[in-house]
Amino acid sequence: MPAPQSARRYPIRDQIAIVGIGSTEFSRDAGGRSPASLACEAAIQAIHDAGMAKGDIDGVVGVAEPGAPRANQMTALLELPSVTHHSAPMPVAMFGLIDAMTAIWSGQCDSVLLYFAFTRLPWNSRSAARDPLRRYLMLGSGTAKPPMPESIDPAAAYTAWASRYVHEFGARREDFGRVALNMRANAMQNPKAVMKTPLTMEAYLAARMVRDPLCMLDMDVPIDGADAFVLTTTERAKRTTRSPVVVHAASAGVVGRNDEDQLPSLARHGQHVVVESLKARGEFWLDDVDVFFPYDGFSIITLGWIENVGYCKPGGAGRFLQEHWDAKSGRVLIGGRVPMNPHGGSLSEGASRGSGHLREAVTQLRGDAGPRQVANARTALIGCGGFFFNSQGALLRRL
Amino acid sequence: MGEPVGEAELVERFPWVQISHDNKHLYRGWLERELRINRCRDCGRFHHPPKPICPECWSWQIEPTPVSGRGVVHLAMFLRQGAPAPGVDYAVAPHPVVTVELEEQPGLRFTSTVAGAPLEQIRIGLPVELEWIDRYGAPFPAFRPRRGGR
Repeated sequence: MPAPQSARRYPIRDQIAIVGIGSTEFSRDAGGRSPASLACEAAIQAIHDAGMAKGDIDGVVGVAEPGAPRANQMTALLELPSVTHHSAPMPVAMFGLIDAMTAIWSGQCDSVLLYFAFTRLPWNSRSAARDPLRRYLMLGSGTAKPPMPESIDPAAAYTAWASRYVHEFGARREDFGRVALNMRANAMQNPKAVMKTPLTMEAYLAARMVRDPLCMLDMDVPIDGADAFVLTTTERAKRTTRSPVVVHAASAGVVGRNDEDQLPSLARHGQHVVVESLKARGEFWLDDVDVFFPYDGFSIITLGWIENVGYCKPGGAGRFLQEHWDAKSGRVLIGGRVPMNPHGGSLSEGASRGSGHLREAVTQLRGDAGPRQVANARTALIGCGGFFFNSQGALLRRL
Repeated sequence: MGEPVGEAELVERFPWVQISHDNKHLYRGWLERELRINRCRDCGRFHHPPKPICPECWSWQIEPTPVSGRGVVHLAMFLRQGAPAPGVDYAVAPHPVVTVELEEQPGLRFTSTVAGAPLEQIRIGLPVELEWIDRYGAPFPAFRPRRGGR
């Protein structure tokens, strides 16, 4: 495949820093709190963490999650006095990161509040379905048509392509199970995580099947919660922060045939475009990556990222996980060194559609991860999103 | 056959579908129990789901073209829960959903269910053919294992 056209010209490399992070606890029920309330908590934390005040934020990027306040509403919630860039990129998380980066780099604004707020929805949570204040979020309540069993929407499509993965490579359920076990073992070290009870392979294999070949534990856990970040120029960050975390390179990736059931194959989809782009734009790759963040909205996506970034050959992720399994901690340590989603990922920290991955990457690179800190972590690779329309990734490093 | 049904009637017959000017020919075909996939008159390539142009050569000469409905199962899953539909009871048996690669063109796929086949027979690689079933009083294209397995 040809290198992306921007490979020769990537002026934004290392130019944007993440200087503030904030987040709520992730829970299966935030009680009597709205998504706006959760977003405010994370946002105020992030702005304070950046050492900034209201007047310093002139960009607001709010990822368009159902129920979440829109960027103009967030601006009103915080009464930010004067905002010159606001937008609502689609999930998952790197679309928001990339929008914030490019807005700052191009001069549309100087410092961006980037936030994500999640609320359990009536169609993916039984308790949410009973909540009268979430009724307005019901599918089909607007102009959307009720789905049919055969709708190959993204959720079902991952299962469908998991069946292809099993067919082509003879993958076993244990290969998917190790993804779930790794996330759970990591989540148990993360006080913010929603899933904190130990998980065994026996329990994974006995879990309720939802759509064969995937079971309940192959799918992320809906949560109430929020994450927020403050981004600014690296130049400004160097004046205010000892060792800022910068975005070395970032990219989205999509192929021409991205309708879920028309995807060319497991060997050619959005993740491949992202990897080609990050390798061309970045100046380091796997040998120099200290923490790895593969997306895990579905376990099959994680297996895809492990293979597609080049840790192993196509179809080899199951064996790779087995070979790099640290029996003592019950999780993956690549080369005995590099953990995979040390915060527990979407499968066990909670379904934050990548914002948890980004927050943990920054936390690790700052050296603030406490008992789960990776020694001397200087670089992180995030592979975010799935196969169809939301593949994306980023390389982060500490200056 | 007669006159094709009007847009208002089409929307009423398929209340679960977002009917558009780009896909209305597909659903009109269903009412006549014909699976019509968009084909480009200029370059000959089929595409699905329906688009207003040929994504290959950007020609506007798109023709909804009947296909055989014969193909091979490319993706297969079994739903233990999902959207409701008449005749689908997840408590009784998992509901199969397959993506079939149609014989007209490599990579041209159509997703539906398999009717009247034991679940253990439904596997990737299974040769199938069209089987029209009823869904809320309208014909719905599904698949069945190809007779004789060929």
